[in-house]
Amino acid sequence: MAATAEKRRCGVSSFLVFLFSVFSLCHSSFSGETFRRNLSVELNPGSPSSPSGGDLLHVRAVGVNDTLHFLFCSQGAPTLLLVHTNSSSSTVEVNWTQFEARNISGGLKVEPENTVMYSSALVFSRLLEYDDVNDTADPTADPFPPYELQDFTWSRLKLSGLSALLCGAAETFTNGSLCLELSVFESGGRDHSWPRLLHTANSSQLRVWLDGMLPRATRSRFLLELRAVGDPSPLSRVEVHRSIDDEFTPSIFKVSQWVSSANGSSDVSGYLQWKPVAYRQADAALEFATPCRHSDPRPQSPEETAAASGLIRGFYGAPQTFGLNVSFGLAGEPFYNSTKFFSWTVLLGAGSPPVDSFSPLVLAMMAVGLGTPTVLLLMGGVCVCIRKRATDYEPIN
Amino acid sequence: MADYEERQSLLGDDDGGDSGSSAGGRAAAGAGGGPMPAICDPKHLLHRVVVLVFMCFLGFGSYFCYDNPAALQSEVLQDLNLNTSKFMQLYAWYSWPNVVLCFFGGFLLDRVFGIRLGTIIFSLFVCLGQVIFATGALVNRFWLMEAGRFIFGIGGESLAVAQNTYAVNWFKGKELNLVFGLQLSMARLGSTVNMNIMGWVYSKIADLVGSPGHTALGASLMLAAVTCLFSLVCALVLGFLDRRAERILHTAKDKTGEVIKLTDVKDFPFHLWLIFIICVCYYVAIFPFIGLGQVFFIEKFNFTPAEARAVNSIVYIISAPASPLLGFMVDKTGRNVIWVMISVITTLAAHLMLAFTFWNPWIAMSLLGLSYSLLACALWPMVAFVVPEHQLGTAYGFMQSIQNLGLALIAMAAGAILDNKGYLVLEVFFCGCICFALIAVVMLYFVDYFRGEKTEPLNCVTSLPVPARIHDMLIQPTISIELF
Repeated sequence: MAATAEKRRCGVSSFLVFLFSVFSLCHSSFSGETFRRNLSVELNPGSPSSPSGGDLLHVRAVGVNDTLHFLFCSQGAPTLLLVHTNSSSSTVEVNWTQFEARNISGGLKVEPENTVMYSSALVFSRLLEYDDVNDTADPTADPFPPYELQDFTWSRLKLSGLSALLCGAAETFTNGSLCLELSVFESGGRDHSWPRLLHTANSSQLRVWLDGMLPRATRSRFLLELRAVGDPSPLSRVEVHRSIDDEFTPSIFKVSQWVSSANGSSDVSGYLQWKPVAYRQADAALEFATPCRHSDPRPQSPEETAAASGLIRGFYGAPQTFGLNVSFGLAGEPFYNSTKFFSWTVLLGAGSPPVDSFSPLVLAMMAVGLGTPTVLLLMGGVCVCIRKRATDYEPIN
Repeated sequence: MADYEERQSLLGDDDGGDSGSSAGGRAAAGAGGGPMPAICDPKHLLHRVVVLVFMCFLGFGSYFCYDNPAALQSEVLQDLNLNTSKFMQLYAWYSWPNVVLCFFGGFLLDRVFGIRLGTIIFSLFVCLGQVIFATGALVNRFWLMEAGRFIFGIGGESLAVAQNTYAVNWFKGKELNLVFGLQLSMARLGSTVNMNIMGWVYSKIADLVGSPGHTALGASLMLAAVTCLFSLVCALVLGFLDRRAERILHTAKDKTGEVIKLTDVKDFPFHLWLIFIICVCYYVAIFPFIGLGQVFFIEKFNFTPAEARAVNSIVYIISAPASPLLGFMVDKTGRNVIWVMISVITTLAAHLMLAFTFWNPWIAMSLLGLSYSLLACALWPMVAFVVPEHQLGTAYGFMQSIQNLGLALIAMAAGAILDNKGYLVLEVFFCGCICFALIAVVMLYFVDYFRGEKTEPLNCVTSLPVPARIHDMLIQPTISIELF
């Protein structure tokens, strides 16, 4: 009797597991997969030959009735520009002479201009280094002169599938380089390499890494200065969200989002999203994770930003800019010199930032784990009640 | 038999009154005549208190050093460039020798070495193991550290058997409850002190050495080995006092009483297998969790390292005073299975809180401490009621053996899960283990209920430790080992 009771219990719990898996599968197929964009990639659109100042990559992500234009340019400081239009037939027009001159706006236009709903850009402007003699991770303590990324010598953009690789080095680098890898996506999903950020078709991912460069001190730590432009609403504040789920980025429970919100509302129209972690080896693993911090976004000089980045100058002119520093490594963490490598990943997208959720594995485990004893208790309780009723015998007198 | 009664009267009378002194006089006369000062008189309470002090500190060193990796988790990971899987190997290697040794510990103490020499040998193993472990860190060789933990493991658990046997030799009746309680509290004290002090020790040594690194780590661990040395001294002193008492009182050596027969395993009733499952599944969700706790609290709850260590040690701090109280309560009410169920459900709630909320972990860890103590008081005595006396030794030995096997395997699994999937999945995994234990408890309750209608239900009115009621020596030596 106990054996058949147990078999019944086994049957019930496996049915529960099946139900949950089916549910999650349906959920994922409906939410993630249906929202797709058609991507078309173009290098140096409209240019007869490779421009001397740097390459321009244009990715057109066409949705049902809107288009996202991703533009990645290495003229000056590497810049990623995102333009969201409400027409599925908008295009990008580049006047190369004006664009390469980098002194007036209008070199790059999205036609028709009245369809542009939102645009934002991310400029990697500086790489800062400081000597952390006392291991306090205080960037103001002993800074070295910064590296201006606009003065780096950038390689040609290497395209492979839906990603583009750009590497460059300053003159003072004896060896080593700073690389950026842009990935664009047709649909939602998750990156396979750590920090395994969740992306949607509305976002692009930039991975930055510094590899092999010789630091100027044995105890150097680095900061990356980022500048962001948003139109109509600039990226003015950073939100840090705590989450209980660190499944995809073990030991990281926070997500930082640099958002721009439309006037008066809390709707987010564009974002930069990252997890506050950098990895000290190319083969990222938990033991190579190093936390990173960001400073508060502060207004920057529009003219300075436009002078540094050809793409900003060409599309915006001299827009309102906010900048922040992302510093890698806290007090007590190993220095850059230990592995001479760090990498960091950021998402740039339009609309609301993607939100992580539990994987089916966790849900299934919890369902089975909590469900089975409950079922057992209920069934046992029922058996006890039946037994009691069967043995209840009231004598007649 | 006469021997037993004489010993009973000699050691049981603690008021040193006329009857005691006359009996002592009869025995002491053989050693050279004249009454001894109370503190030197083996049958007097004062002397036995002195022996108790040494007995309690006998296990201090091994409990202190067992959780050294957990107390210095961040430092070990960073200084030796380890990932979590390799870090957890330090715990796995401690458990591996005990899978086999749990069966033979009593045998070695009874037949091969004798209690005194055996205690000294096991203390030496503990000392040697910790020194090798520290040396491995000094020279930055991880395999040496693993070997050190292996040797430490050989000594650690068997030392607990020896400690219990000493207790049984020197104390009888109701005193034994108190003695076991004190030994347990000392064990917990050792663990707590370790958790809270080692971080500070490391930072001081790092300042001395110049910078944190494997040298500072090795030096801190060497310093921790001093506690093992201290325990070794206690072992030597105990051996001396025990031999002296034997010489004065002409008593025969008490044995651990364990009789291990592996063939008994096939006769174990279904109840007992359920109890084994509960034991394994429960403890694998506690000790590996404490081992990995420090970094979890730092990362998820933004605790400072000192706070993280303090909250990690709260389980041990609570269990020291809670165990006797809860034992008393379980004793009074009986109904061990219900207490076990309550304890498992509370632990599950604590793990769920830690996994799915950001609530202050002090709450969850305090719950964990209480439920852990409750389970110890309610689960282990159940074995005595399920298994006939001549099989008790085998049952306890087997229970500890598979507990250590489970701990070794799950320690490695926990490290691997954390490295690949993070803390949430690890916590869900621990919740899964507890759910497994819960399934076993629920089944135990119903199996007991349905069978109990024909026989007596598993309604034990006894608590840890039991020697006052079950004078059989089989049980006591093996009981308190699990409390590790």
